[in-house]
Amino acid sequence: MPLPKFDYIAPKTLNELFELLENYGDKAKIKAGGTDLLIKLNNKVLQPEVIIGLKNIQELDFIEFDEKDGLRIGALATLSEVANNSIVKEKYPSVAYAASVTATNQVRNMGTVVGNLCNAAPSADNAPALLSLGAKAVIVSKNGERVIPLDNFFKGPGLSDLKTGEIMKEVTVPIQPENSFTVYKKLSPRSAVDIAIVNVGVMVKIQNNKFTEANIFLGAVAPIPLRAKKTEEFLLGKNVQEDIIYEAGKIASSEATPITDVRSSQEYRKLMVEIITRRAIQEAVDNIN
Amino acid sequence: MSHNFSIIGKDIPRQDGKAKIMGAAQFSDDLKLPGMLYGKILRSPVAHARIKSIDTSKAEKLPGVKLVITGEDTPKINFGNWRLVPESMDEYPLAIDRVRFIGDEVAAVAAIDKDTAEEAISLIEVEYEELPAVYSVDDARADCAIKLHDNVENNTSLSRTIHYGDVEKAFAEADLLLEDTFEVHAVSHAYMEPCSCLAKTDLDGRITIWTSTQTPYYVQVLLAQTLGMRENDIRVIKPFVGGGFGGKMELRKWEFCAAFMSKLTGKPVKFTLTRDEELISGRRRHAMKMYSKIAFKKDGTILGKEFTSYLDGGAYNSMGPTAAFLCGNFGGFLYRFPSYKYNGFHVYTNKPPAGAMRGFGAPQALFVTETQMNMAAEELGIDPIDLRLKNAMEAGDEIPGVTTIHSCGFKECLEKVREATDWDNKRKQYSEEKSEKGIGIGCYSFISGGAFNWFNTQYPFTAVEVRVFDDGTAHLMTMASDIGQGCDTVLRQILAEELGINVEDIRLTAADTAVTPQADLGTWGSRVTFMAGNAIINACKKIKDQLFKVLSLKLNANVIHDMECKNGRVYLKNRHDKGLEFKEAVRLAQKYNRGEPIVAYGSYTPRGHGLVTPAYSFGAQVAEVTIDKDTGIVKVDKVTTAHDCGTPINPIAVEGQLEGSIQMGLGYATCEQFVMKDGKTLNTTFLDYKVPTALDMPENEHYTVEVYDPYGPYGAKEAGEGLVSPTAPAIADAISCAANVRFKDLPITAEKVLKAMKKL
Repeated sequence: MPLPKFDYIAPKTLNELFELLENYGDKAKIKAGGTDLLIKLNNKVLQPEVIIGLKNIQELDFIEFDEKDGLRIGALATLSEVANNSIVKEKYPSVAYAASVTATNQVRNMGTVVGNLCNAAPSADNAPALLSLGAKAVIVSKNGERVIPLDNFFKGPGLSDLKTGEIMKEVTVPIQPENSFTVYKKLSPRSAVDIAIVNVGVMVKIQNNKFTEANIFLGAVAPIPLRAKKTEEFLLGKNVQEDIIYEAGKIASSEATPITDVRSSQEYRKLMVEIITRRAIQEAVDNIN
Repeated sequence: MSHNFSIIGKDIPRQDGKAKIMGAAQFSDDLKLPGMLYGKILRSPVAHARIKSIDTSKAEKLPGVKLVITGEDTPKINFGNWRLVPESMDEYPLAIDRVRFIGDEVAAVAAIDKDTAEEAISLIEVEYEELPAVYSVDDARADCAIKLHDNVENNTSLSRTIHYGDVEKAFAEADLLLEDTFEVHAVSHAYMEPCSCLAKTDLDGRITIWTSTQTPYYVQVLLAQTLGMRENDIRVIKPFVGGGFGGKMELRKWEFCAAFMSKLTGKPVKFTLTRDEELISGRRRHAMKMYSKIAFKKDGTILGKEFTSYLDGGAYNSMGPTAAFLCGNFGGFLYRFPSYKYNGFHVYTNKPPAGAMRGFGAPQALFVTETQMNMAAEELGIDPIDLRLKNAMEAGDEIPGVTTIHSCGFKECLEKVREATDWDNKRKQYSEEKSEKGIGIGCYSFISGGAFNWFNTQYPFTAVEVRVFDDGTAHLMTMASDIGQGCDTVLRQILAEELGINVEDIRLTAADTAVTPQADLGTWGSRVTFMAGNAIINACKKIKDQLFKVLSLKLNANVIHDMECKNGRVYLKNRHDKGLEFKEAVRLAQKYNRGEPIVAYGSYTPRGHGLVTPAYSFGAQVAEVTIDKDTGIVKVDKVTTAHDCGTPINPIAVEGQLEGSIQMGLGYATCEQFVMKDGKTLNTTFLDYKVPTALDMPENEHYTVEVYDPYGPYGAKEAGEGLVSPTAPAIADAISCAANVRFKDLPITAEKVLKAMKKL
């Protein structure tokens, strides 16, 4: 079937954007990099009447950092820009790393970190690290701004908390506590240019050789990037030692609810959650020490 | 043997490189003609069914649709590459009454644009009466199985046998008997350029088709056959082609549709496949189920082998008959088997047909042979390289009534990889440690073109025409098809060497059936350099005879003098100062002929070389791996290869073939596979059909051992296909060395490694 015709509109300001979103409602789809959207159009998964391009809205194109509020990644910051940004690399290496292992060079030059989140794939490379860092989604619409924990953003495969008329303007990442470190790990059959069959984001804080904070998010093993609550609770107050970290991996595995699909079996995914969670925690610990 | 070559053996840059890098190279889908229509094929959504009815009326009424055809509209003439065995030709250009796999071609549309063609396809209504379907060779051969083709019992369309010596006696006398079942899977050629063709019909009814093919001549002959036309009324032109690997060496149904529909509409018609069409319905390497029983004496001497192979052929024969034969041929290869018995069966299943693919039966057979050699080495307590050296084939070896090995550097290859990899130490160390490191070996042999003529050509296997001009240039005309492997460069090198001119001085016209001499069997079986190279030498001898005659006259040379063409001159071999410039010699020869141009035809047909090939390549490859024993992921760190390809005409091109082979072998061994359920392919994109990327490539170290084949051009043999075979068994052996798990099935995915290690 032919690609249905659609109009393309590229507003220059957020106010113009809000007006368009109000006028077109569900008939419109928003495009930043377009690397997920165009595939859905070609596959006829989406058939919008209008595509609203964000590229001309300069106020969305930024990566900013300050010592008080932390990192802000605007909706138009590409994966390449985030991956190569020197402050992100220094202050939030897991965020830069996750962006750097998303898809291919070509896709990274077009696609955005915020777009990767809004696409809401359970395997999204950029979700686990940001989630474990306590990131927040800044959502704007004609009616103003609301800020929610990124943890409340994902609602199911391809589904998010965004309502008609809203966009995610930016994702913010708070300043991280002393003695903490965050790690992103992904497992895929190819060493590059591949989709994760399991991924994990781990943030731990250590004081007096005990885990005092732990945020653990698992990707591709549930309908949304999954918070491993029991694993987090288990770690809190425990000594930083090998058997504890091994046990944490096992608990994370028990929390995961993966499926079997063309990419992997359920049982392999479940075991891999254990392995990469354990390794991610260990790597975070090694970096703190 | 030392040779004083000017151009042979030099790293000559690819003559097509600039056009490809600059984007100037025109591939089939780049071509456009005025008024051109876009074609699209309707494929079967069911694995096995009778077609009860097809209603094309809605599609025909769609504005922009110019023609819709079904099998009923065609001349209904069956076809296949095995013309020597007419009953093997089991395909029709579009389905007649029945479909046999998901993707089987049912109808075709030609419309003014792609979107209209796609929409029209969705408007064709087909009523199917579904039939039971079989998806494995075992199910297909069961007594109760439904027959895919009414005249074929047990769904076994053919069997091939090779038998010599007394296998039973060997088994009775054996100190060690290994008996194993192996299963290997289908993989895609994954050529970068999907299939595409453009056909036009002239007012006189003659058809021209530009198509992404490895075999212009086959397309010409089989198009003529299926259209009921004369061969000479069909012109096939091969533009730039982005890879074939065996997947483009038959008449494809869209080629028929483009030609037939251009004839009916009077307009040019183009078909270009999408990647998902390629992965859903494209040709592939044969999956096989193989049984092998091999007998050894205590000292490692091989006594005999019995080898049985069931080829999962999919719904039609395609190139299955050749794969069945070559699988058996290479099952008896690399080593001296005093007795050998092979039975190969080609079995129909309701899956996309398997065809030729790089290695053509050898990767499957050699995975079996090489794995069993490594297993036997372990059982006998003999080093795997020593076991191979003890049994390795040598030049002069003969398989009675089948084939003779004229040149063979296999033992040198084995010694070379042993030394280059520090094999003895590493193998011992890794085997004892059983840590994450492993080292393993696999070897190969392959044909330099086939000596067989199942296509039943009435022409030489290959032919060239060489024209030389008094400005010092030459024109080479050949039907040999460069599909990315580089023969346009290598054949120029051979001609340049023969005439003593430069590669840049040669104009090449290739792969146009109306212009280049009849015929050439195409690019497959690693035949082009060997055969077309010999044809060029044959033509050049005739050219040089003419030039030498005028030189003799001009110099009043003593009849005892030998002459040669080199460095742009023609001269007496022992008196370099006595000669002429090449162009002056051409001018004089032409003058002597009173203006008739200096033109020669040359050809090559392998005669007196048995049933298989005139020459075999050999080689050994060592893989070094690191296994992550928690995830099962195998990383191939390094591949070291020593090979005997005879004289490498263009070493950098040979290296390119090796790199590509390692990439393909790596995919075959570890990650590429079709995920299928009830005949339906589930991974239809390159996201989920996992071809290794450049970043997955191991370090590559390689050596060419010096061998001069007596029948190859300048001693050259094949380098394009054989190298794809050793990688999978070498990786499997390295995994066994590190983790003590021996795989007899492919691919060796991370998940399978963990399962074998009982960790999952």
